[in-house]
Amino acid sequence: MSAHRAVATLGALVACGGVVVSTTGCDRLPGRPTAAQVAAEGTAEWTIQVFNTSCRGCHAQGTEGAAVPLMESDYWRAATDEQVARAVLEGQGMLMPAFGPSAGGPFTASQASALTRGMRAIWGGATRQSSEISGTVVAGNASNGKSVFDAACAGCHGAAGSAGSVTDPMYLRLVSDQGLWTAVVAGRAALGSPAWNEPMPGRPSGLTATEVADVVAYLSSQRPRSMSETQP
Amino acid sequence: MIGAAVDWVEARTGAMAFIAPLLTHHVPRNAKWWYVFGSATLMFFTIQIVTGVCLAMLYAPSAAEAWESLRYIDEQVPFGWMLRALHGWSSNAMVVMMAIHMLQVFLHASYKFPRELNWVTGVFLLFTVLALAFTGQVMRWDQDAYWGLGIGASIADRIPLIGNQVRGLLLGGPIIGGETLSRFFALHVFVLPGAAIGLVGLHLALIMKNGISEMPKPGATVEPATYREEYEKRMAKDGVPFYPDAAQRDMVFCGACLVLLVVLAAVYGPFGPGGQPDPTLIDANPRPDYPFLWIFGAVSLLPPASETAVMLVAPLVGVLVLVAVPFLANAGERAPSRRPGMVLIASLAVMAIAALTWEGKTSPWSPVMNAWSALPTPGHFLTGRTPLQVQGANVFQFAQCRNCHALDGLGGERGPALDAIATRMTPDQLMRQIQQGDGNMPAFGRNLDSAQMTALVSFLTTLKPEFEAPARIPGAQLPLPVRRMPGEVATPVAAGPQ
Ligand code: HEC
Ligand code: HEC
Ligand code: HEC
Repeated sequence: MSAHRAVATLGALVACGGVVVSTTGCDRLPGRPTAAQVAAEGTAEWTIQVFNTSCRGCHAQGTEGAAVPLMESDYWRAATDEQVARAVLEGQGMLMPAFGPSAGGPFTASQASALTRGMRAIWGGATRQSSEISGTVVAGNASNGKSVFDAACAGCHGAAGSAGSVTDPMYLRLVSDQGLWTAVVAGRAALGSPAWNEPMPGRPSGLTATEVADVVAYLSSQRPRSMSETQP
Repeated sequence: MIGAAVDWVEARTGAMAFIAPLLTHHVPRNAKWWYVFGSATLMFFTIQIVTGVCLAMLYAPSAAEAWESLRYIDEQVPFGWMLRALHGWSSNAMVVMMAIHMLQVFLHASYKFPRELNWVTGVFLLFTVLALAFTGQVMRWDQDAYWGLGIGASIADRIPLIGNQVRGLLLGGPIIGGETLSRFFALHVFVLPGAAIGLVGLHLALIMKNGISEMPKPGATVEPATYREEYEKRMAKDGVPFYPDAAQRDMVFCGACLVLLVVLAAVYGPFGPGGQPDPTLIDANPRPDYPFLWIFGAVSLLPPASETAVMLVAPLVGVLVLVAVPFLANAGERAPSRRPGMVLIASLAVMAIAALTWEGKTSPWSPVMNAWSALPTPGHFLTGRTPLQVQGANVFQFAQCRNCHALDGLGGERGPALDAIATRMTPDQLMRQIQQGDGNMPAFGRNLDSAQMTALVSFLTTLKPEFEAPARIPGAQLPLPVRRMPGEVATPVAAGPQ
């Protein structure tokens, strides 16, 4: 093809392109980025999106996820919104990361409470917040707790039990008192761990609220106070 | 009237006297469509400067505002997104065009006498432009940028003795932060473009001085003693003026490239910005831009032990080899048919880069950054476990092991899947692997305390198919051979845990 012909062809092409663009309008070109696709804060869609990327790895449902399952109602029965939002912002114990601004995390206080309300709306179930037991740890009597433990828990968690030790110092170093409280109060049905008021081998009617406080105080008292006590 | 004005300016500046020879100098008649790639590269460079200046007016080069300002350019500024799209696509197009240009020069051996320095300035231009592309990616200040910088910093760190200082110089501090962006902004808009403009000027001046090479003919060899004289004779007799003959072809090709560029920009839009570069807000699978993918492909194929050597030495060797090309053979045959070895080298290089780019695109060298907080531990690894082991699963997520190691097929693939790790490693070996790391795995020794480590190892020892026996201290692996220095007396090695 001669250079002159090529120039003419190209010119025609450019002209056509120009006409197309000016008639369709630049705004409708396919490459134009659309505003960021983020669901509005507080909607159910947003809650799921945030939960799935930031929380689900540890808090799932059934047998999945190693920390307390937030996608089922057992936990939500006793927990309060303040407690949940605090855990999100400040973290909890050794293994729950803080997501709040003070830890350089991504959530503001208002986002943390929006997330909390959203989770409760989706997974909290019809159950009202329980007035029979506190969601947060209550001080108790450790020596009473020892006898509660021997009666109600040792069948499963004792030396001969199948559920594994919960007085192992290594285990206790990793879990906060609040974490223990939640484990006893909410249980974890899918893994065979009873909730506080469910029947246990030595306690057909479960525990009372005071007994829960005592047994958690007992477990807490078994936690080694310094690193050296846990050195193998 | 206009003529008078032109004459007035000409009398005082000599501008026409300068430009006229540029347009009328003779070029070989047979220099047809093969010779358009250099001009197209120059055109893309010009587009980069024009769109780059416009973007610099809108962009906020501070860590706090950069990402937002890109969103602002995309969404608020009229045609802002188009500007970013053109700048991004033209940058990639420039690298591609430059590679084609270089390949053509290599295949036609145009770098032979007297054009050795044309080639050398070209090689420096190549690296300047790649540096522009890399610093440009950093300007997006998103996760890709963060990741690229992290890898760049870790390469700098490996330099013996002064690694830390180089890293500090590059990042403007020990970590990637606001200083880093200012530093890369200065490089991207002042230092590197300045260098590139200077080199382009030099490159063009050398072209004017040495003339454009003719199409290679088998048998027509380059003899440094007589080449210049004969070239000039041939041009005077058989050459055509650059304008309009060759210039027309350049214009057609550049015009076609420009149309393609605008279409790409209009259809595919600007690059990024991806997620914000906040290490806790991780929702992407960051990758470097195209011109660098092959490097990461190569790195992902390397045995980890050789990585340091290769990352540091390979670029230096690359520069030296490229610069050396015209000095190794600057005379003799130019025709590809008479230089089959060179054609083979060029084809191998092209295929290697293509294959490595593909590898870089598809290989799982990059961790899945949100696996730790998004992918739950599978239930069958939690049922029937002790509370300590369940906490070990929490540590596994918390320490972000999942980002590199899959369970049940979900998670990063940077390291091996760990579903059956208990059949391969004993608790002691696991402990050592986690504490000291290995190859591409970071050492966690200082980040995990004894309780976390105990729980984690305890959890990992449960990761095995139901009926398979765990690895045992002496049985699972053959004992390691004991390395002994010549003359050293054999000492009995105690088996079992230290
Ligand atoms: C790396 C795993 C991990 C991730 C990710 C994680 N958590 Fe946790 N979370 C834990 C652990 C472990 C605990 C128990 C800590 C303790 O008490 O020792 C916990 C505790 C909590 C508690 C307190 C339960 C109680 O005892 O009352 C809440 C609420 C909670 N997490 C919510 C969230 C939310 C919401 C997210 C997502 C934004 C999230 N977590 C992400 C591991 C995680
Ligand atoms: C029916 C048997 C059974 C009884 C009774 C029982 N547990 Fe458990 N418990 C389990 C099982 C099963 C698990 C789940 C295994 C796990 O989490 O590792 C568990 C888990 C736990 C955990 C760990 C939760 C975690 O994820 O960190 C604690 C703490 C605990 N139980 C405390 C108690 C206390 C205190 C009592 C007595 C009031 C008790 N359990 C009674 C079976 C039982
Ligand atoms: C940045 C990615 C990365 C992270 C994070 C990471 N690993 Fe690794 N890991 C690797 C790679 C890559 C290997 C392969 C070994 C090599 O490169 O020599 C590996 C190997 C291993 C192995 C040996 C596997 C085998 O089959 O030989 C174990 C066990 C392991 N990692 C456990 C962990 C644990 C536990 C954590 C969290 C504390 C972790 N890894 C975090 C990348 C990672």
